[in-house]
Amino acid sequence: MQTFVRFVTDRHVTRATGGWVIAKDMSDDAADVQRVLAGDVEAYAALVDRYYDRCARFAIRMLGDRDDAEDALQATFLRAYRALHRYQERDRFSAWLYRILVNQCRSIAARRSHRERVFVREEAVLLNAPARATSWAGEDEEIVQRVLAELDPLLREAFLLKYIEEMSYEEMSALTGVGVSALKMRVKRACDRLRDRWERIKDD
Amino acid sequence: MTHTPWRRRAASLASASALAVLCAVSVRGQDPDPLGRLDPNSRFAIELIMDSASTAGLPTRPLMSKVLEGISRKADGRRIVAVVRTDFGYLKTARATLGGVSEEELAAAAAVLEAGAKPSQLAAFRVRQRGRSDLEAFTDWADLLTRGVPRDDASSAITKLWQDGADDATFHNLWKSVQSDILQGLNPGTALQNRVRETPGGPTPRKVKPPEGQQENQSSR
Amino acid sequence: MIDSEEHPYVEWIAREARRPVLTDSAARARLMAAIRAEAPRALRRRRWAGLLAPRTLMLSPLGGALLAAGLVGIGVIAGRFVHNRDVRAADGRSTTVAVTPQLPVSDTVVQFVFTAPRTTRVSLVGDFNDWDTNRTPLTYDGNVGVWTVTLPLSAGRHLYAFVVDGSWIPDPRAPLAPDGGFGHANSVKIVGGSRS
Repeated sequence: MQTFVRFVTDRHVTRATGGWVIAKDMSDDAADVQRVLAGDVEAYAALVDRYYDRCARFAIRMLGDRDDAEDALQATFLRAYRALHRYQERDRFSAWLYRILVNQCRSIAARRSHRERVFVREEAVLLNAPARATSWAGEDEEIVQRVLAELDPLLREAFLLKYIEEMSYEEMSALTGVGVSALKMRVKRACDRLRDRWERIKDD
Repeated sequence: MTHTPWRRRAASLASASALAVLCAVSVRGQDPDPLGRLDPNSRFAIELIMDSASTAGLPTRPLMSKVLEGISRKADGRRIVAVVRTDFGYLKTARATLGGVSEEELAAAAAVLEAGAKPSQLAAFRVRQRGRSDLEAFTDWADLLTRGVPRDDASSAITKLWQDGADDATFHNLWKSVQSDILQGLNPGTALQNRVRETPGGPTPRKVKPPEGQQENQSSR
Repeated sequence: MIDSEEHPYVEWIAREARRPVLTDSAARARLMAAIRAEAPRALRRRRWAGLLAPRTLMLSPLGGALLAAGLVGIGVIAGRFVHNRDVRAADGRSTTVAVTPQLPVSDTVVQFVFTAPRTTRVSLVGDFNDWDTNRTPLTYDGNVGVWTVTLPLSAGRHLYAFVVDGSWIPDPRAPLAPDGGFGHANSVKIVGGSRS
């Protein structure tokens, strides 16, 4: 049970790029927005730099396809740019931006038709298979993508917002327009599915 | 209000009071930020929908009107969002079905869909008739559906009238008489069939074949 | 924050998913190029906020006199409307300047009628007054026994309803618009068509 052993020892690894808002970030965002609205297009590059990677991570985890994720990112940052005059300073820019991102991901997912189902192989088999060249980091990431792709999109979205973006339920509710209790249920169901999946394969 | 030299006093007095009423009722947008009355969640959701609408070249005025209606009705923010989202959907479908029509006609067509017509039934109106506005036809159609006239009956009646070049007055009178019958208790589908038969130059009733060469209707209204 | 009670497998998935992803710098460059191409747009005012700008209309003397004399029903006084501009004088007081009569403004004066006893309270709500229940009260006409109000409406399609003692009621004399989700149907008024 190599996989199990690995993540038990990894439990103490610190999280990468966690956290949502620091006061400094907020005032930077607001200042940059003001500059863009005053005509400084390059100030928008600062905003993009600050959020692109984080948004990319969400888009890739959510959509499972790099091209789709790129489309989502382009559309998100373009829309955000066009709608910048509607951004209110009292709201968090990241939350405002993520609302657009989540919606873009939904649109793109909806537009995808006839996608082949991700061929899922059991982790146990994968561990023994020769490493395949992917544009992503490694086989762990590929496993994670496949596992996430198995989740129903709304469950996946809630799971990602909660555990990857580490938002509070209130923030998620504001973003998605869905009630807190419904979101809690979705996250729980996502975890249940993942757990069930583990139960299924661990005995192989 | 200052007087301008060319007004007579008597008229100006009467005008002033009339003006006061009219100005009071015609000033729009007294609230500079009506969306501010929504909770932040709903506000954001609606702003996104508005953005999608204007990006798609769809009118946002009807959507904004729905928001204001919902606020005035003291509806829950999420309900308002749902209504706006639904409306947006119908506007999109109407646009996809009809192509480029005026804002008003688009909103009226969306109402026809919302009332229950199928997009394929709306598609017959895609072929534009020169200089004609379908506002009256769509409005009456949506009303008939809302009052319970069976979907296909309403669609074929309105479509046939339109294809035969019926004018706004014909549509309006048909609507008026059907409405009156329904209010008096007649079954909506029956009411429509009765009045359709009577309408001069109107469509052939579904179950009766007109004799060759004869005028459809002799009776006057 | 991961619930420490959460299943270790789930935690592992989450932790792996949280790892940063490689992004394509070319895609980012394309994005900024697209943004720069759109530069002027960021400065544009809200496309739809203009709808809420206040408008005032003033009647010419003839129109005003006609109205005061109660001779206006559903009819067109389009040619009589004069747009007045509010002009700030040098000392900041606003004066009204009559612009020379332009092409007919496409506004039509419309009368709304609702039959109800004198003891009710009736007002008009619609897309022309932001559905504000207080803005357009009707007045009771004792001679005819109805509640009425007259106001100018822009050409096109308008949704409206009457608020009668607090209840929203569609106009029995007008076509219905379907219930959009607020639980009641509105009425439709078409202005400026061949009928009016």
